Amino acid sequence: MPGPNLARMAWRNIWRNRRRTLVTLSSIAFGVLLAVLFTGLGDSGYSNMIDLAARMGGGHVSLQHPEQLLAPSLKRTVVDADALAEKVRSDAGVKRAVTRITGQTLLATARQSQGAVFLAFDPKVEDASTLAVMKGKMEGKNFASANSKGIILGKKLAHNLGVKLGRKVVYTMTDKNGEMISGLARVTAIVSTGAPSVDASLCLLPLDTVRKALSYGSGEATQVAVFIDDQRKSDEVAARLGNLTEAAAVPWHVSMPELAGFITMKVSGTVFMEMIIMLLIAAGIFNTLFMSVMERLREFGVLLAIGFSPGRLFRLVMLESLWLALVGLFASAMVTAAPYYFANTKGFDLSAMWGKAGGVEVAGVALEPIWYVDIYPENALLIAAFAIGATLLAGLFPAWRAARVAPVDAIKLV
Amino acid sequence: MNESDKEETANGETIVQLDEVSKRYKQGTVDVHALRGLSLEIARGEFTAICGPSGSGKTTTLNLIGALDKPCEGKVIVDGEDLAALSRTALSSMRRDRIGFVFQAYNLVPVLTAFENAEIVLALQGEAPAKRRDRVMKLLKAVGLEGMEHRRPDELSGGQQQRVAIARAIAADPAVVLADEPTANLDSETADRLLDIMEELNRDHGVTFVFSTHDPKVMERARRVVRLVDGQVHSDERR
Repeated sequence: MPGPNLARMAWRNIWRNRRRTLVTLSSIAFGVLLAVLFTGLGDSGYSNMIDLAARMGGGHVSLQHPEQLLAPSLKRTVVDADALAEKVRSDAGVKRAVTRITGQTLLATARQSQGAVFLAFDPKVEDASTLAVMKGKMEGKNFASANSKGIILGKKLAHNLGVKLGRKVVYTMTDKNGEMISGLARVTAIVSTGAPSVDASLCLLPLDTVRKALSYGSGEATQVAVFIDDQRKSDEVAARLGNLTEAAAVPWHVSMPELAGFITMKVSGTVFMEMIIMLLIAAGIFNTLFMSVMERLREFGVLLAIGFSPGRLFRLVMLESLWLALVGLFASAMVTAAPYYFANTKGFDLSAMWGKAGGVEVAGVALEPIWYVDIYPENALLIAAFAIGATLLAGLFPAWRAARVAPVDAIKLV
Repeated sequence: MNESDKEETANGETIVQLDEVSKRYKQGTVDVHALRGLSLEIARGEFTAICGPSGSGKTTTLNLIGALDKPCEGKVIVDGEDLAALSRTALSSMRRDRIGFVFQAYNLVPVLTAFENAEIVLALQGEAPAKRRDRVMKLLKAVGLEGMEHRRPDELSGGQQQRVAIARAIAADPAVVLADEPTANLDSETADRLLDIMEELNRDHGVTFVFSTHDPKVMERARRVVRLVDGQVHSDERR
């Protein structure tokens, strides 16, 4: 469009009141800093919680009998689980796939008995990257093989049963045919995960030993736990894997609704807080632009008198608003870089806030004591887009006001 | 206005025509009659001063000619166009293309240099940059500001700013230049120099000037002096 260089005029205009512009830029920069840190804390923290929950349970996606979710039972199995695990590993989105048996059991010692949740796994295949319990404080040793006769108990569970390392425990469960079976195992390790409910109820058993006890076929299990690089793609991967098998592909948020609900609630809170931050930014920018417009009514009158159209004046003020947004984003990047780097590499140690509890558990997942800030790129872009959007929105009324100036009133030719 | 009227105007006859123009303002609950049936014609190439006591309607007259305001009654015709018939956008175009303004307080755009202020109307008209540059440099030279084109208004004296304002007003070769008390804020030497420049532009380039003024010097040098009293023409002296 022909005419004077409005972008250049707008750029010079925003620096006419340098102090006011700097205050506005600071408000944008610190608003964005807060939004990035809070969002990054959530992105990283919740993602870690989901990964941890996946490693405590059935993976990011669990392949299981279609009725297992609503009516869990050791009778409802995936007959060719080992073969299915092998098959799904070829999917580009799948990082690991492991076979497991999970269910309820009754543990008994000479003095005590207690119900527990058991998870049977192959110690040759799994490690802490698929089984978070392995990352806990372990007293004793992991199973030597999937055929071992050992059992690993949660610390609180061991305490309740009154057993120590090397002592015997009898486990009782219902097999595939509905018969009660029992097995004898020696405690090889006692583990403390930091999640009180897990430590009080979880026991680990060797996969093949349990298979035999439950009369399962070789390769049969209750689930194939699938692990992926990015938990946000669990629905996508579940949909893909669901097409490969008769088994149900259940994403983590379906199998762990309490955790999904908690995260949704927290994320909603963060979004609400960010909206308030953006509103405050917009209010600051509105104030700057509106003051700037009201101080220049005479000048706008002159511009109208010499031939500026109202539309051109509107664009001039909107360009000032855009410049503020762009320079504000640049200032934001400068202000955010160092704190983000610190929070991304050193993290925030929240353990001091946990007090005597020593650990916090959400939906069966022990929170990590150190939370890092690691924002998803799309969320960073969203914050930038929001900042620009809020700035442009804040500029609308001042721009409209400038365009509505009546030249004769503004310049007071008298 | 029919085609023959337009042709007559284009031939250098009447460039501004006010026909039985009245203008009332509301001040609180009181109606103020700024103009009462004022009729006036200004021909192309005239160097006219409109004078009169405060409240006589000088400024209102300039506002109406400059398409900044509309009359309550009567007609204002500038360069063949009846301003009452024009839309807001068309009035913007009219001011841009056919009217030049010189204000008492200079009213340059503070963030633009002398060159950019002088070229702004040409830029609005969409003139090519090279042509703009050529025209503006000539004008700045004509008003004695050669070498100062990169200075911003706050780096220029009052007289220099007013000269930039004159360059801006005549850059697009308007039908008429309206100057509101152009010498009011200047010392007498600078005011003389400014009047010299405007006289030269009028004499050598045929630019039509209409001033509102209290300044006896301006009235002395004007070739026509229209005196307003109570919103009507009291006297109209041609020299």
